Amino acid sequence: MAASMARSGLRSASMLLRRGANSKAAAPTKRSFSASAQDDARETAKWEKITYAGIVTCTILAIYNLSKGHPHHEENPPYSYLHIRNKEFPWGPDGLFETKHHADH
Amino acid sequence: MIESQRHSYHLVDPSPWPISGSLGALATTVGGVMYMHPFQGGATLLSLGLIFILYTMFVWWRDVLRESTLEGHHTKAVQLGPRYGSILFIVSEVMFLFAFFWASSHSSLAPTVEIGGIWPPKGIGVLDPWEIPFLNTPILPSSGAAVTWAHHAILAGKEKRAVYALVATVSLALVSTGFQGMEYYQAPPTISDSIYGSTFFLATGFHGFHVIIGTLFLIICGIRQYLGQMTKEHHVGFEAAAWYWHFVDVVRLFPFVSIYWWGGI
Repeated sequence: MAASMARSGLRSASMLLRRGANSKAAAPTKRSFSASAQDDARETAKWEKITYAGIVTCTILAIYNLSKGHPHHEENPPYSYLHIRNKEFPWGPDGLFETKHHADH
Repeated sequence: MIESQRHSYHLVDPSPWPISGSLGALATTVGGVMYMHPFQGGATLLSLGLIFILYTMFVWWRDVLRESTLEGHHTKAVQLGPRYGSILFIVSEVMFLFAFFWASSHSSLAPTVEIGGIWPPKGIGVLDPWEIPFLNTPILPSSGAAVTWAHHAILAGKEKRAVYALVATVSLALVSTGFQGMEYYQAPPTISDSIYGSTFFLATGFHGFHVIIGTLFLIICGIRQYLGQMTKEHHVGFEAAAWYWHFVDVVRLFPFVSIYWWGGI
């Protein structure tokens, strides 16, 4: 009983030592940028505000962009390096993101 | 279990998932080649292989979660494995994308005479970088800010806020993927339009693929956070997802500047 207690005491002491030696590698528990729960709460609130600012910016940009509409692009001149088809795609003549009317070339 | 071992490492139980993953990879590669050549049954074998690989990923990682969250095997020493592994994996991804940027620069800095000696090549209808690409460029960093919000919430023990933050992160990511899909569909050039199309779609395509993988990873973290599987001190899976997400986010800036903006003028 006493021997097993001594053994477990020795084990936990050696693990402490090992953890101490590994302390640089076990950096996650030693966060140098935050010392307390309040710092974490402040950081959390800060990033929450930054996220909301980002969402608002993106929404404005999105509305601006989507309201512009897309001009119809004219056909390209048939240069040899465009629309390369040395071998047909396994699924057919169109590319994956292409619109169907290119198939009749 | 863990109390009876005299060391802080994890000796895993035998598992069938490595071999099933390998068989899935074999089926995928052979099926892929068969599909492209084309031989009969190629598409079937390819799909079977991909399904097998996805299944293996699901059950393997489910087992890791069982061993860590439920069985408690992930001591600090064991956590170093996934931590360093994630960092090294991200470094390997950086190398992978570096290759595509090299390819793009090789072709664009000294355009050959066959494409008109100019970049972009003659006849390519280049996208305006200030439309969808510029829109997507703040969406991903906002998503990065949201994941940082989530991380601080987890560290502060605010579990519910962390779930909201992860929902915001994932929603922004899905919106940006949606816009990118729209852009691909509307873009005049295709992947088969000269070396411009090849480099453009490979670089942006792989970036997009990484965004989708990162989004899935974050969704899983969100589910786990909701189920209460992460603690203030122990959330290696979340940290790996957050690192990966920041990588995706930062990488996004490079194609925007070099391929969309510089490559279009």
